[in-house]
Amino acid sequence: MGIRFLTRRLGGAVLTIVMIVLLNFVLFRMMPGSPERILLGRVPGVPPAVVEATKIRWGLDKPLFPDQFVAYLAATAKGDLGFSYGERGRPVADVLLQKLGPTLLLFGLGELIAIVIGLALGAYSGWRRGGIVDHVGNAVSLVLYATPYFLLGMGLLLLFATGLGWFPTFGMTELGVTHASFIDLLIDIGRHLFLPLATVSLGLVGQYAILMRSSVIETMTEDYITTANAKGLTDGRILRAHALPNALLPTVSLVAINLGYVVAGAITVEVVFNWPGLGTLTVEALEARDYPVLQGVFLLLSITIVVANLIADLVYGMLDPRVRT
Amino acid sequence: MRYRFGVRLGRFIALAALVAAGLFPAGAQAGTGQPLILTVGTDQDLETLNPWQSITVADYEIFQIQYELLMGYDINLETAPGFAESFEASTDKMTYTFHIRPDMKWSDGEPATCDDALYTYQFALDALANEDYGYVGSGYLEPSLTNAGLESVECTDPLTFVAKTSHPTTILPQAYVPILPKHIWEKYDLEEISNAEADGFFKNEPPVVGSGPYVVTAWSPGDSITFSRNDNYWGTPGVPDQIVFQKFEGADTMVQALRNGELDYARGTGADQFDALSTEPNIRVSEGFSNGFTYLSFNTRATQKGYGGSTSALEDQKFRDALGYALDRQTLVDRVLNGHGVPGTTHIPPYQVKWHVEPKTPRTFSIDEANSRLDAAGYTRGADGIRVDKEGKPIELRLTWPDSEDHATDAQFIQGWFEDIGVGVDAFVTEEGKLLEDLLGPETDGGPADWDFYMWGWVGDPDPTSLLSIFQTSQIESGTNDCFYSDPRYDELFTTQLEATDEAARKAAIDEMQQLFYDAACYHVLYYDSVLDAQRTDKFTNWTNQPPDTGTPIFGYGYVGYMQLQDASAVPTAGPTTAATTAPGTSAAPGGSAVPVSPGNTRSDSTPLLIGAVLVILALAAGFYFMRRRGPKVEEE
Amino acid sequence: MIAPPLPIAEEVPFQAARPGAGAAHVFRQLLRRPNGLVGLAILAVFTVLAIAPELFVGPLETAVTATGPRLGPPSAEFPFGTDEVGRSVLNLTVHATRISMVIGLLATIITVGVGAVLGILSGYVGGRFDSTMMRIADFFLVMPTFVLAIILTAIIRDVLGTGSKEILGMRLSLLVIVVVIGLTSWSSTARIIRSQVLSLRERAFVDRARVVGASAGYIMRRHLLPNVMNLIVANAVLTFAGAVLTETTLSFVGLGDPFQPSWGQLLDAARSVGAPGLGKWWYFVPAGTAVVLVVFAFTLLGNALDEILNPRRRGRS
Repeated sequence: MGIRFLTRRLGGAVLTIVMIVLLNFVLFRMMPGSPERILLGRVPGVPPAVVEATKIRWGLDKPLFPDQFVAYLAATAKGDLGFSYGERGRPVADVLLQKLGPTLLLFGLGELIAIVIGLALGAYSGWRRGGIVDHVGNAVSLVLYATPYFLLGMGLLLLFATGLGWFPTFGMTELGVTHASFIDLLIDIGRHLFLPLATVSLGLVGQYAILMRSSVIETMTEDYITTANAKGLTDGRILRAHALPNALLPTVSLVAINLGYVVAGAITVEVVFNWPGLGTLTVEALEARDYPVLQGVFLLLSITIVVANLIADLVYGMLDPRVRT
Repeated sequence: MRYRFGVRLGRFIALAALVAAGLFPAGAQAGTGQPLILTVGTDQDLETLNPWQSITVADYEIFQIQYELLMGYDINLETAPGFAESFEASTDKMTYTFHIRPDMKWSDGEPATCDDALYTYQFALDALANEDYGYVGSGYLEPSLTNAGLESVECTDPLTFVAKTSHPTTILPQAYVPILPKHIWEKYDLEEISNAEADGFFKNEPPVVGSGPYVVTAWSPGDSITFSRNDNYWGTPGVPDQIVFQKFEGADTMVQALRNGELDYARGTGADQFDALSTEPNIRVSEGFSNGFTYLSFNTRATQKGYGGSTSALEDQKFRDALGYALDRQTLVDRVLNGHGVPGTTHIPPYQVKWHVEPKTPRTFSIDEANSRLDAAGYTRGADGIRVDKEGKPIELRLTWPDSEDHATDAQFIQGWFEDIGVGVDAFVTEEGKLLEDLLGPETDGGPADWDFYMWGWVGDPDPTSLLSIFQTSQIESGTNDCFYSDPRYDELFTTQLEATDEAARKAAIDEMQQLFYDAACYHVLYYDSVLDAQRTDKFTNWTNQPPDTGTPIFGYGYVGYMQLQDASAVPTAGPTTAATTAPGTSAAPGGSAVPVSPGNTRSDSTPLLIGAVLVILALAAGFYFMRRRGPKVEEE
Repeated sequence: MIAPPLPIAEEVPFQAARPGAGAAHVFRQLLRRPNGLVGLAILAVFTVLAIAPELFVGPLETAVTATGPRLGPPSAEFPFGTDEVGRSVLNLTVHATRISMVIGLLATIITVGVGAVLGILSGYVGGRFDSTMMRIADFFLVMPTFVLAIILTAIIRDVLGTGSKEILGMRLSLLVIVVVIGLTSWSSTARIIRSQVLSLRERAFVDRARVVGASAGYIMRRHLLPNVMNLIVANAVLTFAGAVLTETTLSFVGLGDPFQPSWGQLLDAARSVGAPGLGKWWYFVPAGTAVVLVVFAFTLLGNALDEILNPRRRGRS
């Protein structure tokens, strides 16, 4: 991989993050309601003296630029994202960190399962285009794609938790239960994880299958496949040696780009299952007007997606010599 | 190839099934020796463990389980022993002497004495005197001290706490101030305790040191809180070994968890959910009358300098009074609350049986009456049927409410009724933080009081003082008196009732205040909405409402509700069970903590629907499949 | 956006418009394909409902005009049952069609309009302008747009003012959703168009035009735009599907307007009264089905268009 390629991608990522940090500052200042009121929470009847004191404490009496802006940049660089007022007195960074684990677990696993199943289904459908698997798989994929995550989640919840009673309805572990061993804890988390995980995987699998299918179909028209056919190679060999690797590349990069959308799904799935992750946090913060936390979520997610895209780019670059420019 | 794919897929499915099977049978609670846990779901945020920061009912519940008040509340809301065993007042009702319980200990084993009470009260007094922190965090705790006129506190001996007030009062013993352990809290100064926006903020993280029956031992902020029994608690220990509060985003999941047996208590169910739960076995419901009200507030200084109301009509008592006749409060209660509430009149809710009074001439719903009153007041209809104000401008009022509340349906009704009396209504929701600022008049932070009328709610204390205090002239400046009500007679009566030592005299003053405020038509109280809670009876029994007729078992005042609970499996025929539905099939589960078997009928209503949904998806897929097969072959030109 | 429109692979150039490949031709092709036919049929039904909901179910019911029981099950009078204030769910769902479809349409117009203009400009002008534009597009592409949408909604509401002012028969609060979707999803369209323009730019007919002295604006308007029109249309159809999904999700977390319910708003209302847990399926199944059907139809249509307009997708079936 060329140095030039590397620096360009890295530079791009850094630039994007800088823009996100700037946007974050601007957005916060544009929020309805004055910042000191926001900082003071929703308490009516705060004496004017207290409002004044809050302003001074936070430097809100100083001009927006450069004073407030410089202070903001310095704080952000140190990882100081302010304090949540929904969870009074907790630094936003702590709040985010606490919720990151459950979300990573849910969506990391969900993505993984969806990618494996989706790509396999898509590849097979594309390969055996017109077959039963293709028709049924494609129709199911389209329906799954067209279903909002929360509807899917509500359906699964009703059927398997409230209806059949196979799985718990909410949360990540049994309330208040101390687990005898680590294995018990894993089992407990597993039971709670199953339905939200199924929702996420089902929600994603349709898209990935459709993507992979069209990618394979396109690859099949390439000259080298025709050549391979002519050479008398078996179908299986052509698929594995030629078609799949080439079809995989664009799909993988799209999966990385999709991360931003996945986040949105996360929000509603977590809410439906009361999963203690970033999604539930976002909606709680929205309802409590906890703007510092909302900002933090925004920053954290943006940076995560930028980094994921960067990694995907680099991997792509390593695999496909044509993009190393 | 087809074969190999198949094998892989087969392996994968087998693996998935294996994993799932490993997860299914995990009756995680099957082990013996698990503690008996009371699980409580709430729709409110669990925001803080620092009592000085408490705002929501859930926040209050968190501290009142852990900390005693000087005097507590019993199941009938009467004064009960708390941190102090008893108290007496001087004859002029300006000196109160509290007798602290001897040999009491904090949960960490330190002695609990008058020093702790002194520390706590002195802290509150100091905070009140400090302009920067005068509201200590959120300002909901000390008004009881201010209103009582508390001047000084002292310990005459380790077990005797003496408080002096500047005027006679009867409300001091009910002050809602939790006594905190001095040896923990004195390490932090005012800034660290009250400023949640700074690094040194004291969050009071677990293990919390308290004197109540349970103390917080684990905290997953924003998500759940675990309380464990305090072995040093002075009274009879409670039956649950642990109490867990879990926050829910939306009542739907919470109610399903309750029906599924994963929760023992659900606070804040919806009206329809409540009605459905009330007929289910093993579930008891409790409708708590609200100690508060939902109201319409008017910008009564609309067009004065510095105010941003749209019409001078709002300043006219006759106009606002007429509007009151066009509000069908009973319909709102029936249709919006599904009957779980009471139509509103005065600003002291009927929950406060002792103090609530009905107005002498209530505004009963009548569009005709409203119309004739508007005609009489000189608001004639324009060509389009819309009435015009004294300046000749059509009256189009803006109605709003904060986005934290769901008042769209109320607004639609109000819009409809006001249309019938020729008053236009433009209804919309406003972001809460912005609304709080929009409401303020020029006395507070510059104004602009840019609003006409809006909907929100107030919640009171057991004593009426806090609700009465809102509408003093002096509260306009703080922004609390948001309809700019100002009546010297009301202010005078407020002081009278505060200082009254005779209950009848106090009652007379409070009656008159309610009538005055009602007549001014500054607020139209719409309804007193109920709090709807539900409890499972197959794990704990003897749920007791506080107060018995109109309250809920917990989330009331003090912790007495928790202390009534009995273990359903230990005492299958527990004595005075108040369960509304004592199901005959309530079998005692061995071990006392087995997952309760969900009754069949909780499932029956959703299953057909799901089968339907699955069928629809299958039909879609099948239809699509056949269509593709029958469709014309894709041409290959 | 919540759901990405299923992407059209960037590196495969669409075939340039050729004689005979006009709108009528494409339409005929669509009708001959089962996925195109089904997609068009479903959309035709919903479009009719959106244009004239009053014809079928009368004016939108309000709490005041409602006549039904509280959460009543489907009956002869109320085929889809009633909601918690007694309004007919059929009435609400049909009226919500207009709101959801108009939001989707406006959002698509903004998305595709902005995306196409910037894509063509960027591809044709090239150089620093191109790299700056693409950097900005990248920025919007990686942003967690949903969280941004939540923050922006609060801000835009503040800037536009609240109240029931209406634009195009829609309350301002709903336009917020349109703007948010448009703002956060134009970038992928711009990228796709740009890469097509990049390859077109090197074609002989563009060179010829340049040689005869055609202005850049003329070339972009008369030569490039017609040649990317197919791509724009296919992209617009898929964007529409994504926009409907996004609107649904935004409304579901409480950013809709209860006075002009969309499908997402109805789903939110159903969940907040606990309809799913209570087994009151008639409250949310119609709106849920409508969302799935419309998105499904748009996706089918998009795929069909893709197959018709993109020769390499025809494959060897």
